[in-house]
Amino acid sequence: MAKKSKEKKNANGSVIRVRNLVAKYGDVTVLDNVTFDVPRNEIYVILGASGCGKTTLLKHLTGLIPATNGAIEISGQNITGMDEEQLAGMQRNIGIAFQNSGLFNSMTVGDNVALPLREYGNMEPQLVNAVVRLKLSLVGLANAEYKLPAELSGGMRKRAGLARAIALDPPIVFFDEPSAGLDPIMASGLDELILNLKHLLGITLIIVTHELDSIRKIADRILMLDQGRVIFTGTVREAEQSDQDRVRQFFERRPDEHITQRNI
Amino acid sequence: MNEKRIQCPKHLDQESGRGLVEQVRAEGVAPRQTLVLDFSETEDMDTRGGAWLIELANYVKAQNAKFDLAGQQGDVAEFLGLLRPSLVSMAEAPPQRAGVFEQAGEAALNTISEFKEFYHFLVDTIYWTALAPFEGRGFRWGSFIDELNEMGVRALKITLLMNFLLGMIVAMLSAAQLELFGASIYVADLVMVAFARELAAVMTAVVVSARTGAAIAAELATMKVQEELDALRGMGLHAAQFLVAPKVLALVIALPLLTGLGMLAGIGGGAVWGLVVLEFRPDIWFNQTLNAAMFSDIFQGFFKAFVFAIVIVLIGCHNGLRVTGGARGVGLMTTRAVVMDIFFIVLIDMIFAAFFYYIL
Ligand SMILES: Nc1ncnc2c1ncn2[C@@H]1O[C@H](COP(=O)(O)OP(=O)(O)OP(=O)(O)O)[C@@H](O)[C@H]1O
Ligand SMILES: [Mg+2]
Repeated sequence: MAKKSKEKKNANGSVIRVRNLVAKYGDVTVLDNVTFDVPRNEIYVILGASGCGKTTLLKHLTGLIPATNGAIEISGQNITGMDEEQLAGMQRNIGIAFQNSGLFNSMTVGDNVALPLREYGNMEPQLVNAVVRLKLSLVGLANAEYKLPAELSGGMRKRAGLARAIALDPPIVFFDEPSAGLDPIMASGLDELILNLKHLLGITLIIVTHELDSIRKIADRILMLDQGRVIFTGTVREAEQSDQDRVRQFFERRPDEHITQRNI
Repeated sequence: MNEKRIQCPKHLDQESGRGLVEQVRAEGVAPRQTLVLDFSETEDMDTRGGAWLIELANYVKAQNAKFDLAGQQGDVAEFLGLLRPSLVSMAEAPPQRAGVFEQAGEAALNTISEFKEFYHFLVDTIYWTALAPFEGRGFRWGSFIDELNEMGVRALKITLLMNFLLGMIVAMLSAAQLELFGASIYVADLVMVAFARELAAVMTAVVVSARTGAAIAAELATMKVQEELDALRGMGLHAAQFLVAPKVLALVIALPLLTGLGMLAGIGGGAVWGLVVLEFRPDIWFNQTLNAAMFSDIFQGFFKAFVFAIVIVLIGCHNGLRVTGGARGVGLMTTRAVVMDIFFIVLIDMIFAAFFYYIL
């Protein structure tokens, strides 16, 4: 595809660089000295126990929460020093699918997807409608265009949120817990979709997920957080053979011995 | 077999896709003809190009013709595979708006079902507020105290201020008229009677419905939207017991008290005008006021406040529990609750006025 061949030429560049990121809510440090790179056109999976700061990390990467300290570079631009205006410009080039879908309840699914196209897409109305239909059929919701979000199941809302996130064909897409609440068939369908987005549209995806099967299937690289620190980056295979017990524990699905002592 | 072949461009993107659609539109397709798009030379395509294909497929099907793809390979074939659902089936038409009669019918049915729901809600509420506590089935005193604080204590300042200002306004208006007859002292009577019977109860109820009525509706609506009410039911608890009963009792106590204080504030507002502007001696003014005070008037004010309290809580809860959809539904129902509150306050006040005028 046009985009893909373009991406391939500089495949070894990183689209996201994070250096020494520190994030705090009030006095509580949620992310501590997080450093990593996301290579172009890869599927980068962020994982870790519930409450370890994954959603917080995504919100920092997408400029929704300003960093307390450290640097975040998206497509070569440092976003930590940006003002509102510049951030908005950056955010037009990324897609975000939220953990709770973030759909506007007062609009139909079709209008939700059409919103960014009408605001920024700069295209004729008939094409907007066709793009909406295309994105919805990509996520398997071709016949939900005129439904309201309240009339969809949780899994359908997730996919509708993804359709809206990819409406403007952003080169980078962030996806918080895509498969939570989906049945296994739907979840593996979503994995296919994610692989297709990477492969056919040349998108770089940063995905938060816990599903081991899905991680094994889609992840090019993973980053593991534990209590706000990065404890591992690398491929899934490397993680499974890691000499860190905490990392292997996750892949072997071993419970904590002192589950009550950790902050769950 | 009637077939028409069209060669697709090498790179199918927004520009070349538009060209393709324009070409087909210009040439036209005959009914029952099959339009075959030949992708044998297409090397790549993007989503905008794909969107034009969907547009094209819709156009072709609208002409009663058929649409087919041929010669696609590699990534293009994969991409087209993903688009299949929207290429083969017609785009759904947006749902039609119902006709006038259907709308009227639906509105009637809605009203009936709303009355039914209200009836059940009312029965539940009466049971959990007035009967269940005596059967030892529990009343949530903790949240009752919280509500009393929120609805009563925290509403005190605004209620007093509004009644005080209204008292001054009434004194000003009536003084202008009564001065013509040299009967300015009767301003004291008028303010007293008006606030005891009418104004304190209505003014306080309006303030409280805008404050508390709206809050009740928004709280219950948000809880319903976020499945908190289902969670409550799932634990075998009743919304009427858990949420509604403490509010009913709290407002039934708070609103008459606020109204009583509102009466004093209103009379105080009138007195400020009488003493400062009309320059009456305080003892004369207050004697006049006390002479005008009748137990039946004051009782009427308190009784109305009691009824208004029940109306405000019931309307707030009822609308909150009826919400559907998300944030927008919450806003709509909150607005509806306040509008209904004010309508019913005025309506009930009128019924009382007529009752006391004709019957007593
Ligand atoms: N708005 C907030 N204010 C204060 N603390 C917060 C806020 N949001 C999250 N936290 C805290 O920050 C920590 C990380 O939260 P975060 O939502 O990033 O976790 P997560 O890794 O996404 O968890 P999950 O897998 O359950 O979604 C948690 O301990 C949480 O209590
Ligand atoms: Mg999260």
